[in-house]
Formats: sequence, structure tokens, C-alpha cells
Amino acid sequence: MSRQLNILVVDDDAANAESLAELFQMDDHKVIVAYDGVQAIEAFSLNKVDIGFFDVMMPNKNGVDSFMEIKALNPDARVYFMTGYSADDLLEKAVAGGALGVFSKPVDLSKLLQAVESEAA
Amino acid sequence: MHIQKKPLADSHQRLSDPNLLLGILDNLPTSIVIKNSDLEFVYSNQAHCEIIGKSEAELLGASDKDFWEPEQARKFLENDNQVLQQGIGFETEEMATNDAGLSRLLLTKKTRLTNADGQIYLLVTNTDISALRKREDQYRALTETIPVAVVQLEEDGTIAFSNHLFNAYCSGDVSNEGRASIVRLLAQAHDGFPGIACKFETDIVVAGLGRRSVFAISSGWLNMGSSGRSAIISIIDISEMMELRRINEEVSRLNSELAENIAKLATAQDELLKKGRMEQLGQLTATVAHELRNPLGSVRTSAFLIERKLKDKGLGVESQLERINKGVTRCDNIITQLLDFSRTKQLYCQPADLDAWLTEVVEEEAKRLPENLVLDLRLGLSGTFAPFDPSRLQRAVINMISNAAEAMSDPKAPANAEPRITISTYLKDEHVSLRVADNGPGIPADVLDKVREPLFTTKSFGTGLGIPAIEQIAMQHGGRLDIASEPGKGTVFTMWFPLKSPQAEKVA
Repeated sequence: MSRQLNILVVDDDAANAESLAELFQMDDHKVIVAYDGVQAIEAFSLNKVDIGFFDVMMPNKNGVDSFMEIKALNPDARVYFMTGYSADDLLEKAVAGGALGVFSKPVDLSKLLQAVESEAA
Repeated sequence: MHIQKKPLADSHQRLSDPNLLLGILDNLPTSIVIKNSDLEFVYSNQAHCEIIGKSEAELLGASDKDFWEPEQARKFLENDNQVLQQGIGFETEEMATNDAGLSRLLLTKKTRLTNADGQIYLLVTNTDISALRKREDQYRALTETIPVAVVQLEEDGTIAFSNHLFNAYCSGDVSNEGRASIVRLLAQAHDGFPGIACKFETDIVVAGLGRRSVFAISSGWLNMGSSGRSAIISIIDISEMMELRRINEEVSRLNSELAENIAKLATAQDELLKKGRMEQLGQLTATVAHELRNPLGSVRTSAFLIERKLKDKGLGVESQLERINKGVTRCDNIITQLLDFSRTKQLYCQPADLDAWLTEVVEEEAKRLPENLVLDLRLGLSGTFAPFDPSRLQRAVINMISNAAEAMSDPKAPANAEPRITISTYLKDEHVSLRVADNGPGIPADVLDKVREPLFTTKSFGTGLGIPAIEQIAMQHGGRLDIASEPGKGTVFTMWFPLKSPQAEKVA
């Protein structure tokens, strides 16, 4: 049986963030929700996060920049990105900086759950 | 036909009439005088009387010294005696002035005659050639006033006449050989010159003048007078004209270049405007895409949650949830097409093995296609690397394949027993061709004209941006899109793009 994960969902679109949170919780994972980049960094520093799902375009700090800061403090941070359209430059930077992958919105949920499952295995 | 001959006896008789003969002699324009051995006039015709200005009666028994200036008369008599003594004919041209002061140019012939009694006479004829000579002088003067070099060449190679302009070509050597050399120069440029009538253009190099473009005309050999044949050759210097012609051609070339550049400028301006509009559209679309995809994401996730929560409860909402999911997917596809079409960002071109890449894309896409559809992949690049932006080109390939697949499953079209999509690549003239052909119903000509227009669609669920996006992507790769279709047979989309794009060189 797979282990329980601490999952961080970061999205300024609350409906998105919360519906994803509910989805993961349904599979018995712990979910922390952040609504911008600054909150995401804070969440990472306060919690042990197994895997993060980050939106890219957000107020205060975008997902990629906050990921780079998190990565600097926590090189093992495991993060996927979710984006509404291809912000190529930012995503290239994220992938080069060690992001696990990019989901395009609306996210294909079977793929998303697959990613979580393989993390929990 | 019967010819009736008249007896000639009567006319013979009349011709033997001495008065008639004298009448004839009096009507000749040539002066005839007969002198005896003492050089006294024994006969003078009317023309001779006119030269002297006396009647025949006044002349008979007199001699030249009675009518001409003493020096003139002495010369005449000296020649007369020579002919009388030696019996050799004499011919000369001389200017003669009579005692009335009238000068004429005379062609004089003197011949010794001997009658049946052994009596010796001198026959002197004078032809007034003043008018002839005057005309000749006029012609020569004329040749000096025209901007044409003129030469008269005798068949034996001697130059009978040349004007100053012709002599200018001889750089000072106006000897026969010097002038004939110019004719030989021209003869090298035209077969048969100067013997046949001809005209032609050529370049000659002349000492002192350099290279000149000339227009040469020859009359060909003509009979002139009694002594052999000659040719009149004219040379017109057309160097300045040729230079003008060259300048004129240059001007018209520049003109057409200018027109071309103006047209290019107009096109560039149009493109700039279009690009400006496309950039605006791109920004708008990106924002809208982001704003729509977030709620779409939460709708999809929520539907998924509902599905899980209601699973095994037998509420019968599966089909409704399915509709929600399909709706989300369709909205997402429309957004993708809008983004594809309006994307103006620079490509990320990397040279890569196009055939290998295409195989992967087609294999992935094949999973989404109906099972009965045959995908035929014919790769012809044999490992050639071509510069392309994989994500952009993938959109174009997928668009072409899904267009073909949709065309063949169109319920309005007659059912296709063996639907087939042939995808092929090949190289031609440093260009890569990526071709997607189907054996579907084809596109009617009136529709074919419009398929490149954004927002034109024949599908109830289409955006009308699929084909414009393919074309956009082809053009962004420095290439183009060809669409050919034959109703009843199928449609062929061909993307062309260069093997070497400026961008690819930069990357390399």
C-alpha cells in the first residue's frame, strides 16, 4: 500500500487549489494549500513537503521564482508545475532548475494521480 | 503572229543624205571639230561653235590661236601636232576659257584621221563635263557634312574616295593600305562584307579612338562607270547611342527594381500591421486562455470528485458527468487552437532528425484515431537534420492529421471503406516537404479558396483556426503551406520549409 504524502498545492485560483486539495485528501494524503508564491515558500519552510503542485502565474511571486528559492534552501524539493498556457521562458527555467514536469491546465487528472501514486510508492 | 516588214531602202537613202548627217552632228552635245594638217578648222559642229562663240562660217579656215588666249592656244596646238605626227589618240580633262572669258571643264579627245586620198585630218571632240564635275563635287562636299564615315572601295582593293570622318578612323594613315585596313576590320564581323549589300553592328578598336561601337552599311559591289565595280561603305559611330541605350536599360532596370521594392515595402507594411494585430491577439488570447483554463480545471476536478463520490450509488449521473468532461476537453481544444493561431513568439528551432521525430509524433497521434483508419508513414529524409521547433511543428502535424481523420469520418460524406492517411517526407531543392494526404471526400473548389482564412469553418464544432495555424507555423519556419484537393479523391496538405533557416544557423 502506498504511503501518505504531504502535498503542497499552490494556485491563486482558489477553486482550482481547493478542488485539487480535496482530490488528494480523498486518497488519504495531507494537503497544504497556498495561494501565491510567498505563501508557497513559507509552507515549504514550515512543513515537510513530499511533493508540490505549483501554478506558474500568480500574484506576489510567480511559481517558478518561488520554486527556485525553495530549491536553493531545499535541493531535494520535488515540484510539478501546472500552467494555463505555455510561458516558455519561465518553464524552461523551472525544468532546468529541477522541476519534475509540467501539466497543462485543465490538468489531465489521471496523469496527475499517476504522478502522486509513483511518489507514494 | 505575222510581222509585216517595211522595205528599208527609203530610210537608207535618207541617212546617206549629207545634210541629214550634219544635222545630227549639230544636235550632239559634244563639240566636234575637224582640222587639216595645218590645224585650220575645216568642219565645226554647232556645239563647237558655241564653245568658241563664233559661227561655223567665221571658224572655217581659222585656227585655235585666233580664238583662245595665246598660252591656251599654244598648248592645244602642241597636243594637236603630237597626235598628227604620232597617230596616237590623246585624251585629257582641261579647263578652257574662251576669249569671251567663259571657262568650262572639257574632256578632250583627239584622233588622227586619214581619208581615201591619204590626206591627214585631226578629229577633236570636246565634251563639257563642268556639270558632271560640279555634281561630283557636290556629292563629295555632302559627304563631308554628314556625321557618317564614307568610303568608296574598288573591287581591286583600291580606295577611290573617303571622307574626312572615315580618314579619322585611320589615325593619320590615309594611304590606301591604311584605309583598306579599316574595311578589313569590319569584314571580320560580317560574312560577305563588303561585297554584298548588308548592314550590321559591331565593335572595332581603332588606334587613337579606342573601342568604338559602329553601325556599318555596304552597298555591295555596284557597277560604277565603265571601270569595274565598287562598293560604297558607310560607318556610323553608335558608341554614344549604345551608351545611352545602356543607361536607358539601367534606368528601366532601376525603375522596375524600385517598383519591386515599393511593392515589397507595401507587403512589409501590411505584414507589420498584421503582425501588430497578431501580437495584440496573441496577448489577448494568452490572457483569456489563462483565465478560462483555471475554471476549466476546477470544473474538471470537481466533476472527477463528484464521479468518485457517487460511484456505486446507482444515481445514473454517469452520462451527465461524461458530458461535463467532454465539454471541458472541447473548450480546452478551442483554447489550444486559438493559442496556436495567435502565437507570434519566436520559434525555438533546433536541427534534429525530422523523420525520427515525426515517427514518434505520428505513433502518439495514431492512438487517438479510429481503428479502421490506416496510417501510412513514408519517410524520405534518410536521417537528414532539419531545423524546426518541435512543439510548434507537432501542433501543425496533429492539425493536419486530425483534419484528415475528421474529413474521412464526416457523416455527410459517403462512407469510406478504406480510410487512409499517407504521411510522407522528402527533400527537394534544399527544402523539406512534410506531406499529409488523405483519400477522403476532398474539398470543393469554392471552399478550398477560403480554408486559409481565419475563422472560416465548415464544421459544426470547428474554430476555423486549424488550417490558418498550420500555415502560420509553416511561415514561421520560413516556409509555406500548399493545399491541393480533388473532390472524391482526397486532400493533400504539404508543408515546405527550408533546410537552412537563418535561425537554425544562429543556433548551430
